[in-house]
Amino acid sequence: MDTNRDDFGIAVRSAFLSKGTQQKFSLFALIILSIIFLLIEKIETKPLNYFRSIVKDTIYRGSFLASLPMEGLHSILDGSVKHITIYKKYDQLKEENNLLKNNISKSDYLRLENEQLKKLVEEDMNTSDNFTSARVMIDKKSPYLNSFVISSGSNKKIKNGMAALDGQNFIGRIVDVNFFSSRVLLISDLNSKVPIIVEPSGNQAILSGHGSRNPTLEYLPENYEIKDGDTIYTSGKEGIFKPGIPIGKAKLEKGTVEALLFSNLNQITFVNINLSTSNTTK
Amino acid sequence: MAFISTNSKIRFFQLVPLIILFYISLNGISVIDLKFFSINAHYILVYFWVLRQPKTLGYGFIFLSGIINDVVFGLPLGISSLSLLAVAGVAAYVKVVTVRISLFTDWISFIPALLIANFIYFIALYFSDYSINYIFLFKNSISTFIFYPIFWVIFTLLLNLIKN
Repeated sequence: MDTNRDDFGIAVRSAFLSKGTQQKFSLFALIILSIIFLLIEKIETKPLNYFRSIVKDTIYRGSFLASLPMEGLHSILDGSVKHITIYKKYDQLKEENNLLKNNISKSDYLRLENEQLKKLVEEDMNTSDNFTSARVMIDKKSPYLNSFVISSGSNKKIKNGMAALDGQNFIGRIVDVNFFSSRVLLISDLNSKVPIIVEPSGNQAILSGHGSRNPTLEYLPENYEIKDGDTIYTSGKEGIFKPGIPIGKAKLEKGTVEALLFSNLNQITFVNINLSTSNTTK
Repeated sequence: MAFISTNSKIRFFQLVPLIILFYISLNGISVIDLKFFSINAHYILVYFWVLRQPKTLGYGFIFLSGIINDVVFGLPLGISSLSLLAVAGVAAYVKVVTVRISLFTDWISFIPALLIANFIYFIALYFSDYSINYIFLFKNSISTFIFYPIFWVIFTLLLNLIKN
């Protein structure tokens, strides 16, 4: 029995403490280093934040460069497929163009009317000055987290908690800011909880992400009056996002209310970051 | 001339596992997510090479690739490193106590490696206030175990190329 225990001890020591041939570090030392990394992850000090920003920016650039050959291959394949279907799409686009031309005059009038009404209720208007645009730099389909990295960070005055928009539509929030890059946590992620309001019923709820499935509305009042097709907006209740940013349409599904997002989260190339959030956290 | 050519070929083959390790970390493809199942190629790669030829994958490189993986996936720094080093630890232990190496012994001893690595992953994420899909993690572990022999065969071919 003692011999067995001794053998086990010797084997564990040999595996974890000895460096072995051509090994510069022992396993034990690196495990301790990993634990230290994990423990300091929550500590927010300026030198540590600088260190993290430099490490993350460097890795993001490296990751961007490493993914170029694969993306090149993908774009060649996509280009080939698009080329094959180009004639079919041309007819469709021609038809759509005619339809849109007819609608332009109507939407111009509605936009003008909307701006006038907003002025009337003294709501501060979002101007283009309040936004900064950024390109999606790394969009790895992580099985665990739905997020992507954009090419702007604290250099463009982006802060944690700011809203990320696809055009005018809300798609997520900033969760990690480095010098030249930031991470956007998408509303479909498990960790995403956004206070919303459903129009026209005015019911308020929390939009909760579920990973691959559509986000659902939680904490709805008991007698909610939501119908298919109702529009979901940010409520601004948490004091971070501006109220009234469109998110998607409501869909009743087996006793729950799902949100069909206006933006396809897999097809985003550029995002607008709303810099004029009321209470951003550093 | 022929000697130099053969030597450089061997050196290249020796670098292949290391290149794969960093390539999958930087590209965020360490978890191969297919429609019905997913495989953690990172665990298999680390386990096989630490078990069979530890000098090919240094522990420092494994640690570094874990850090890269965390940054690319947006996880707290150190989680992947810790779980990968746990896999490497089990592999190093199995290497010390095993006399005859076969697919079956490798495969069976991969179970505690997966269990320990996922336990560490779970604990670290829990204390970091991160929610992930644990059902996905469970399914991923099962399919990683099931598909281990396929990778074993491919890596053994590569190992033979290096040794020859």
